[in-house]
Amino acid sequence: MTHQISFGEFSRELNVHLDQISYNEMIPEPEYDAQDQELPHRPQALVVGTGDVYRLLQPYLSIRFFDQFKAVMPLAVYLVLFQIFILRQSVDDAVVIAAGLGAVIVGLMLFMEGLKVGLMPFGEALGISLPAKARLAVVLLVVFLLGIGVTFAEPAIGALQTAGSLVNVAKAPYLYSLLNEWAGSLVLVVGVGVGLASALGTLRFIYGWSLKPLIFATLAPVLSLTFYMSMDEELSKILGLAFDCGAVTTGPVTVPLVLSLGIGIAHAAGKAGSSLSGFGIVTLASLFPIAGVMLLALFVASQQTPEMIIAAAQQLQAVNADLPWYESTPGVEIVGGIRAIVPLVLFLLFVMIVLLREKIAHPRIIFFGIVLCVLGMIVFNLGLSYGLSKLGGQSGSLVPGAFTQIDTVKDSPLYYLLAGIFIALGFAWLLGFGATLAEPALNALGITVENLTNGSFKKQTLMYAVSLGVAFGISMGVAKIVFDIPISYLLVPGYVLALILTVASSEEFVNIAWDSAGVTTGPVTVPLVLAMGLGFGNALDAVEGFGILSMASIGPIVAVLTTGLYIRWKIARRYASDEINLESAKGLAK
Amino acid sequence: MTTREFTILTDVSMITCVVQRNKADMVVQAAQDAGAQGATIYYGYGSGVRERLGILGLAIDVEKEIITTLVADDQVDRIFERMYFAGEMDVPGAGIIYITKLDKAATYIPQDVIDRVAERQESAPGSNIDIGSLP
Repeated sequence: MTHQISFGEFSRELNVHLDQISYNEMIPEPEYDAQDQELPHRPQALVVGTGDVYRLLQPYLSIRFFDQFKAVMPLAVYLVLFQIFILRQSVDDAVVIAAGLGAVIVGLMLFMEGLKVGLMPFGEALGISLPAKARLAVVLLVVFLLGIGVTFAEPAIGALQTAGSLVNVAKAPYLYSLLNEWAGSLVLVVGVGVGLASALGTLRFIYGWSLKPLIFATLAPVLSLTFYMSMDEELSKILGLAFDCGAVTTGPVTVPLVLSLGIGIAHAAGKAGSSLSGFGIVTLASLFPIAGVMLLALFVASQQTPEMIIAAAQQLQAVNADLPWYESTPGVEIVGGIRAIVPLVLFLLFVMIVLLREKIAHPRIIFFGIVLCVLGMIVFNLGLSYGLSKLGGQSGSLVPGAFTQIDTVKDSPLYYLLAGIFIALGFAWLLGFGATLAEPALNALGITVENLTNGSFKKQTLMYAVSLGVAFGISMGVAKIVFDIPISYLLVPGYVLALILTVASSEEFVNIAWDSAGVTTGPVTVPLVLAMGLGFGNALDAVEGFGILSMASIGPIVAVLTTGLYIRWKIARRYASDEINLESAKGLAK
Repeated sequence: MTTREFTILTDVSMITCVVQRNKADMVVQAAQDAGAQGATIYYGYGSGVRERLGILGLAIDVEKEIITTLVADDQVDRIFERMYFAGEMDVPGAGIIYITKLDKAATYIPQDVIDRVAERQESAPGSNIDIGSLP
């Protein structure tokens, strides 16, 4: 007789290594207490072998490692290749720099993961429960203090302190004083600026204010202060730093934490209708610190004369030989890392426990995240000193060898003056363009913008507009150092142009354009560009090498506003031509 | 009276597979390579092994992707196995995969399949009348 079996059963039988156990084997026995009440089941912690730990962690770690690797490596490779092939110089301390870059990657990886695990849950919880439990005045105070806290925690802010050691005290005494003796106050002032901006941005969320008047109201004092300070020979050297500080503030800690709080508050107020409500804080947070730093500079100038600073610095240099452990590496990085994160965490804890009386969910995980944050910050700071700043400074100091005689480059100038300057500017242009296009935050902004404008502002258009803006901005910043142009000659017309374009543009594009400047300056670009500018300035014997970052901020604003106007004009023209076609069609029909 | 045809598929099983966020595409590809016709992915979040792993649990995403795919009974075990290994389900917390036996399904059926089954029925009347075994 014929015997039929299904092919499915046949193949099932062929499967080797197939074992069946009942799910009943995995369920726990119910437990009872003294009163015969069933106890809720608490699963035991799972113990996994090393093989499983590896398989668990390997994809988790490699994704996060390569995220940062992709941000750091292309820039570093570009700098090194440029140095070797165009400038024909070998890289000094290549091993130290490579280790430093590795530290930057690992540090950023740890820091970002710690931020996600340890700090972000606070931000979200605060955003939800703070507006419900506290009065508006208290909310604004918390937002303000949070703004200060996140500024200290921003990785790129460490680059400012590193930059301070490169400033020549005899040439720019106030600049030196601000970055060394007053460095703490400088960061504090920047933080106050960010805090005020966050509070104002939150009010804007709640009341739905337009961004345009806020920009005008902020820029008017900033520009008049700039004008006043550019009159004074000593004070004008501060301007580059002041405008650069604006670009440094808006990094991976500030933006998400402040935004999540602001959006939570807007939701609680029931005013989250506007699709653009997330924008604006970044803009204000990059403008307010500029004013803050300028005011601090005026204050320092009223306290000290340049001669006093120079004398004090020389005295300090004499004592410099014997630094205590917390002022030399790696002590200074460790202290810096703890000082950046711990106050912010304590403040968040204080608000959560004392003000809101909320329990902290998963305290162990949060603690682990905070440890990761601190650890990441320390490793990143080490990498900053030995990797990014060193590499940037080295490239910056060598690039002028393309067109002028400097001691460090043999056979300099390597090229004819014009060709050499062109190479130097082209180097800066490509650096800015590539670094910006690769910035993940820009990609994210591009997607948001495309959605918000119903596709009329394409993601690619925005990304190229911003990248071109940064590229030309950085080139102009380098040109400023090469030709020794006062920074106010570039910044004031730039901002005035941006203001004119702002008046002409619609609210949406104003929001996008002014915020796009903030996203371009990440924790990798900032130290690299700062160090490059300073090295460049030192090699050329320029007064100071700041200002490149600020040019990189104003560039994309102008570029995006112009693109926005062009898109609006194109749409208007299409509508107009459609109407003409319609008219002529009607005419034909008659 | 409608003249539209309505053909029902029998011998169908549903494989449901829960994996971590961004892992679904790989698993679906494996299923399709093994002959699955299509798959639906939706999003959710879940708990389980993650909570029992302590700090190691951080390596597991709370957000999950849930894949469902309908396959013929003859291929269900093969696809089940392929999906299991593609999703690395033997790693703690990676996910879970299970089969549900379905009663009936209906969807678009290519005309040549209908013709082929009809032909087979004519040549051997009284035999299996369903068309569950797609090529």
